[in-house]
Order: sequence, then structure tokens, then C-alpha cells
Amino acid sequence: VTLAELTGLVLTFNVVTFGNGPVMVPPLQRHLVGTGALSLDQFLYAFAVGRVTPGQANLWVASLGYMMFGWPGAVVLTAAVAVPAYTMLPLVAWYHRLKAERRVAGFIRGVTSASVGLILASTIQIGRDTLTGPVEWLVFLTALALVWWRRWNAILALAAAGGLGLALRHLQLL
Amino acid sequence: VLEDELVTRRHLVTRGEFLAIYGIGRIVPSGTMSAVAVAFGHRFGGQPGVVVALLGLVLPGFLLTVALTIAFDRLAQGGVLETIRATLLPGALALIAVAALRLGRTAYQSPPDLGFAALGFAGTLLLGVNPGLLLIAAGIAGIFLFGREPRK
Repeated sequence: VTLAELTGLVLTFNVVTFGNGPVMVPPLQRHLVGTGALSLDQFLYAFAVGRVTPGQANLWVASLGYMMFGWPGAVVLTAAVAVPAYTMLPLVAWYHRLKAERRVAGFIRGVTSASVGLILASTIQIGRDTLTGPVEWLVFLTALALVWWRRWNAILALAAAGGLGLALRHLQLL
Repeated sequence: VLEDELVTRRHLVTRGEFLAIYGIGRIVPSGTMSAVAVAFGHRFGGQPGVVVALLGLVLPGFLLTVALTIAFDRLAQGGVLETIRATLLPGALALIAVAALRLGRTAYQSPPDLGFAALGFAGTLLLGVNPGLLLIAAGIAGIFLFGREPRK
């Protein structure tokens, strides 16, 4: 994958998913991990970094760009997800026409609903390679419970679940 | 925070204007906050204002993201990858699962939404359809199925 190809992919998927970072996981996973351009470890790490840093959820592509092409990759991919925001200017001008346009709302709703299934499918696909032992499963379920049920901040949940996994590995309890 | 600063404290825009900008930002293909930054940057500073607003929004997260990515490269070379693989990466996977669950909770309006999610799931996992194509197809189907519903 060249930088131009990667930029094209990110630009396209970012536009189609309306800048929703997690929704870009399934298509990018297929194009980058599926083709061997990135390892699954790198891909997941990039996503984790994006969740624990401030700013937009789609900024995790900067991490992907850096892993593959260094600083130019990080800068170009960040621009690819930020520059489409310029479409805001004509949209503001057309606001009243757009407000009444139900087809736009229908398109967004279709994409959003399908995205839920896509992300869950990606979770299962990635989980097959990532959750390979009891420690990994315990870390996964702990982080899931802390963020979903206990509503913990992502950084704290990753630290707590990761710390638990580290302790279990160190003590060789599992 | 932005609403409090612009509407309540500084009285730079009305609440209605702020909500309109935010509402349009939700359909801009870049993420809501960068769209809002462009709109207010242009409103208060023209083109230079847009650049400053976007940089102010993106730069802190960008620098931290790259710094943590450099750390990963160093850690992986130092043999810590096995530990990361058993601790951080399963946690990251949990965050992806939570993102799907949260999106599902906010997206669900009626049973057809569940059908779209099921088709997305089956299309990706069982049939191996390209996720990008699936999303575009879902959007087009959404125009026909949901685009005619009266606004609530």
C-alpha cells in the first residue's frame, strides 16, 4: 500500500462514515491487516492510542500513518480526516434547504445502523487472533465491563484491565 | 464546554445559532467537532480563523498520538510486545466492542435498524463483503427506507 493509496482509503472511508473513528475499523482492518500492510498488533495499538488521546475519534489514523510512513504518513492522514470539514462552509449557507432534506437523514441512518453490525463483526474477527488465552480474555472482559457497565474513562479502564493482566502473567496464576 | 464559552460566557453567538451549527456539523463527513471548528473559525476569523481553529482542535491529539506510536515502536523493539499483546490489545478490542454497543444504542429507532445491523454483521463476517461497499449500500438503502419517513 502506497501513501497515496492509503490516503485515498482513509479519505473515502472517513467521508462514508461521516468521520466516525470506530466505524472506520472494519474497512481499514480489511485493507491494511488483511493485506499484511500492518500487523493486527499495530492496528489495535493505533486504535487504543486514538481512544486515550484528546481530540476527534478519527485521529487514530495518524498513528496508522506514522507506523507505515513516519511523519509524512501521520500528517497526510490527519489532513485527510480534517480537510473534509471545509464542506461545512457551503452547508451552513444551504442550511435551510438541507434541514428539510430527509434523504440525507435516511442515508446517515442506513450507514449508522449497518455500522453497528460491521463493528461487531470486526470485533469477532480481531478477537479470534487476539483473545488467545485466559489472561487475554480476562483483560478483554474486565475492560468491557468497566467501560460499558461502570462507565469508566477509557484510559483508566485500559490501565486497570491491563494491570490485572500484567499481575496475572507475573504471578503465573492463569 | 464550547457552548458554555461561546453562548453563555462570551455571548458571541445565540444558542439557536450554536445548535444549528452543531446540527449541520453532524452530517459533515469529517467528524462533528472539526466541522464546528471550521464554521466558528470562519465566522470569527475568515480563512485564517479556519486554519487556527482546526490546528487548535487537532494538534494536541495529533502530537500525543504520534508520541505514543513512537513509544510502541520502541517497546516492540525492546521485547515488550508480548506483554502489550496480553494486556493492552485485548483492552483495545473491548473499546471497539463498546463503540459498537454505544452506537447501536443511539442508532436504534425501529426494527429495520436492527435489520441493517444484522445485514452488516452477516455481510462482513459470513459473506466477506467489502465493508466500504456495505456502508455505501446501506446508505443508499437508507435513503429509500428511512428518507420518506416524516420527521419526528
